[in-house]
Amino acid sequence: MSDWSEATLERARQIIARYPEKRSAVMPLLYLAMAEEGWLTDHAIEQVAELLDLTPAQVQSVASFYTMYKREPVGRYLISVCTSISCMLCGSDDVLHAIEDEADLPAGETDDDGLLTVEHVECLGACGGAPVVQVNYELIEGVTPEKARELVRWLRNATPAVVNTDEMQELFGGRRSFDWAIPTEDGAVGPYPAFQPYGTVGQDRRS
Amino acid sequence: MTTEQKTDTVKITVDGLEMEARPGDLLIRVAQDNGVYIPRFCWHPRMRPVGMCRMCLVQVEGPRGPMIVPACTTPVADGMVVDTQNDTVAKAQEGVLEYLLINHPLDCPVCDRGGECPLQDQTMAYGPGESRFVEEKRHYEKPIQISELVLLDRERCILCARCTRFSEEISGDPLIEFIGRGYNTQVNTFPNEPFRSYFSGNTVQICPVGALLGAPYRFRARPWDLREVASTCPHCSAGDSISVQVSQNEVLRLLGVDNPHTNQSWLSDKCRFGYEFVNSAERLAAPLVRGSDGELREATWVEALDIVADRLGGILREHGGGAVAGLGGARGTNEDAYAFSKFMRTVVGSNHVDARMDDAPASQFLAAVVDRARIDDIDSAATIVVWGPDLKEEHPTLYLRVRAAATGFDPNQVVSNSDGLKIRRPGARLIVMHPRRTGLDDVARHVLRYRPGAGGELLTSLQAGDHPEIDEALAAGPVVALVGRASMTEDPRLAENVAAWLRDKGAKILPLARRANTFGALDMGLAPDLLPGRVPVGEGFESWGEIPTTVGRDTRGILEGLRDGDIKALIMVGADPVADVPDSHLATEALANAEFVVAIDMFHTESTAYADVILPALGFAEKEGTVTNLEGRVQKVNDIVAGEGQSRADWSILDDIARRLGKELGFATAAEIAKEISEVAPAYRGITWDLLEWDEPMGAIVPYGDATQPLQYVPVTTSLPTVAAEMVLHSARTLYDDGVLMRHTPWLHRLAPGAAAYLHPDDAFRLGAREGHRVRVVTKHAEAELEVRLDETLHRGVVYVPFNQPDGPRLGSDPIVRVTAIG
Repeated sequence: MSDWSEATLERARQIIARYPEKRSAVMPLLYLAMAEEGWLTDHAIEQVAELLDLTPAQVQSVASFYTMYKREPVGRYLISVCTSISCMLCGSDDVLHAIEDEADLPAGETDDDGLLTVEHVECLGACGGAPVVQVNYELIEGVTPEKARELVRWLRNATPAVVNTDEMQELFGGRRSFDWAIPTEDGAVGPYPAFQPYGTVGQDRRS
Repeated sequence: MTTEQKTDTVKITVDGLEMEARPGDLLIRVAQDNGVYIPRFCWHPRMRPVGMCRMCLVQVEGPRGPMIVPACTTPVADGMVVDTQNDTVAKAQEGVLEYLLINHPLDCPVCDRGGECPLQDQTMAYGPGESRFVEEKRHYEKPIQISELVLLDRERCILCARCTRFSEEISGDPLIEFIGRGYNTQVNTFPNEPFRSYFSGNTVQICPVGALLGAPYRFRARPWDLREVASTCPHCSAGDSISVQVSQNEVLRLLGVDNPHTNQSWLSDKCRFGYEFVNSAERLAAPLVRGSDGELREATWVEALDIVADRLGGILREHGGGAVAGLGGARGTNEDAYAFSKFMRTVVGSNHVDARMDDAPASQFLAAVVDRARIDDIDSAATIVVWGPDLKEEHPTLYLRVRAAATGFDPNQVVSNSDGLKIRRPGARLIVMHPRRTGLDDVARHVLRYRPGAGGELLTSLQAGDHPEIDEALAAGPVVALVGRASMTEDPRLAENVAAWLRDKGAKILPLARRANTFGALDMGLAPDLLPGRVPVGEGFESWGEIPTTVGRDTRGILEGLRDGDIKALIMVGADPVADVPDSHLATEALANAEFVVAIDMFHTESTAYADVILPALGFAEKEGTVTNLEGRVQKVNDIVAGEGQSRADWSILDDIARRLGKELGFATAAEIAKEISEVAPAYRGITWDLLEWDEPMGAIVPYGDATQPLQYVPVTTSLPTVAAEMVLHSARTLYDDGVLMRHTPWLHRLAPGAAAYLHPDDAFRLGAREGHRVRVVTKHAEAELEVRLDETLHRGVVYVPFNQPDGPRLGSDPIVRVTAIG
């Protein structure tokens, strides 16, 4: 039943080999599945289940528990606005409204041409840089409502093939909490996290 | 390493009562065993605790003062002081119940569970009486069908994880799971994968609310209208304990009873939902006799019995007792089997009698293996060998037992499944030999697959030491081996060979045969070489007076005798040789050629089509008696509904025939037969109904002799194809099939997988056939066109066709077949 590419299957096998118990690889494989098909289709869940000797129901149970696994199609750019306590106190509601208004899209929905999805999420663990926004799980800190509008326009007009934290931070971010990592050219190419070294960074299989 | 436990027991105090317990036992279990009931929803004594529902909160004195803890996840410790009833605990329980009821619809008046519902009962006993929650409740579509047999009402669910834990830990097919999180959590299946588990009905029984519903029972009765009686499952020889529940003279529900030695409260769906045949409209209600026009017509009992006595009497006078044979008896009680055996020996004077339908190993093997294991031995075995049928298909509750042993399952272990993988007790080493993938392969340490017919070869190589890993496992400690016939195309004598080999390795043996009371029937002498109490034919058995002393013919011999004319008449008691005997063509020829055939049965079968007289018999839940399971455990079966029409017990029908032939069987009730068995059958001495009802409600073991006699066996030889065009047929039973009880149980009959040709993908490719294509399978005596299904667990060169499927072919027991693609 497999119609994943051989390269992806090989990647899956490498990931599985890292764990003493096969089933422990379920989360990275779900990310891999999202990279392969853009979101978690029923078919992707079945594929992961088959690779791990689980039932699709078990994989679905994991996939539905975590909000970062998408069980419905999302746009090419997934904009996640943190509305938990720190960000909320620093004005994240305004940021979210600005993004909803600029994208003409209520939170939780995807636009008709499949370009943008807007969602509000719980704490992203970057309270020091509140309010924070992620695009395809790449983080931007210290975002203002104005910068947020610019971000939406940029995504819509420039349609970057890869988004990455450093570039977006420079263009749309404000005060940073601290240096998160060694700057890298890699970024995310789809609505899934960049999870080195497991998965998807820098490989746009859909282009 | 933990320090060595110095004491075997600890003392705790619960509500002022002192209790002794083993260290590590769960507080809730210890309290219950000592008479203190702590309310609970999620904890089940046969499953691992999860601490999900919080209903079992109790107060424990700790170093920092009293603490509220869940009793189900708290192991006892020496000196523990527990209060289960004080105001703090009561307040906690009220809070938990108020919380559990936030979204519960309280639709008890239309809920199957109403009246026997733990949530209802415990809300009455421990709940707050009123709720502060006035908000709209959560709504789901209700109910949704999650399999052919089970419906799910998610609104009622309290998320206790009993069903999901059962599916994952006990039955090993986690097809229902939690979905979502927090407020939106629900139990559900994967969209394209229904809850099609052989054990799905257990989740209905253990659901503490009415969220999981059995489709056959839904809206059929209220609990307070049901009458019930304890009994034993009529579908397989494991002897599972059940409660038969009845309303208005109709069996409506079976529940599993926790017999620690057999089913431990679980049932397969075949047992749980396999009662519909009792109420079937197809039941025979009056005697039928074949008129001179060749058509069956209804007759009175007197007329029918007169005809039987007249015809049988004529054949006996002309040809003697050797011209009459008897088949069947493995579906009834020991009392009926004893009566049949006594009838054949003392009235007819024939040893041509067999309860096995040519599909089981030898009677000596099944009845006389003396170093026999108990089912309980599986739990403590270091190594378990399964060489025989796929347990999941033929002995489903034994499958559960072996699976639990192989996974090291421990109902006291307080860890979540994923955490527990590393620290779990190591399971028994499980070795599975079977021609294709079985239900146990996932948990087996070693799996050896072979071509049917080549079992002898595999055994030889094992004996020669070609598999050191197997030898090592067999040397590891107590070994329990479950041995039976893996395939209808396998030499039935292979089982004895396997048992002899394993016995030399010190294994205890559990012989496998499928029909529910096969072992009881053999113990009652329904075998050509056995008399009641496993006394060999020809050895001293005074109780019956003058009886034939030479070993008779087995089922195959009887059928051949009928075909060739050596045997003239056949008495079938609950037997359907055309469907049950693997070589169906032989059964058909035999019945067609028989001079006189009388059938005692509940239903018309393919075999009763050849009967001259058909006498309607009582069946499950309609008669009282005993049955004996594969470990030699004798248990009661009980009656609770009146029989269909004029149907009667087998023994009383046989007694009436005996009287007309001028003899007497010598008993007037089943209870009298039981008494006679306990007096004349050596192994059954002292086994009385009183004993089973009062002293040993979980059954009494009939002892087997000492193990000094070597196990007799004939080495099997291999006859596998040498021509490239030939393949080997594997033919094995599935849980749901076209057997007579299943055929009259539509809920299950439609779940039979159906006839198909399962091929290894390489063979299918070679034949030019794909999945869904059709192939022609030609055996020595039959041929069939079948749909191809791919199965890469098969050996190359093997075609698997499930045995006895609805509208399926009867391909016989010859292993050599030719398979060609069609079109």
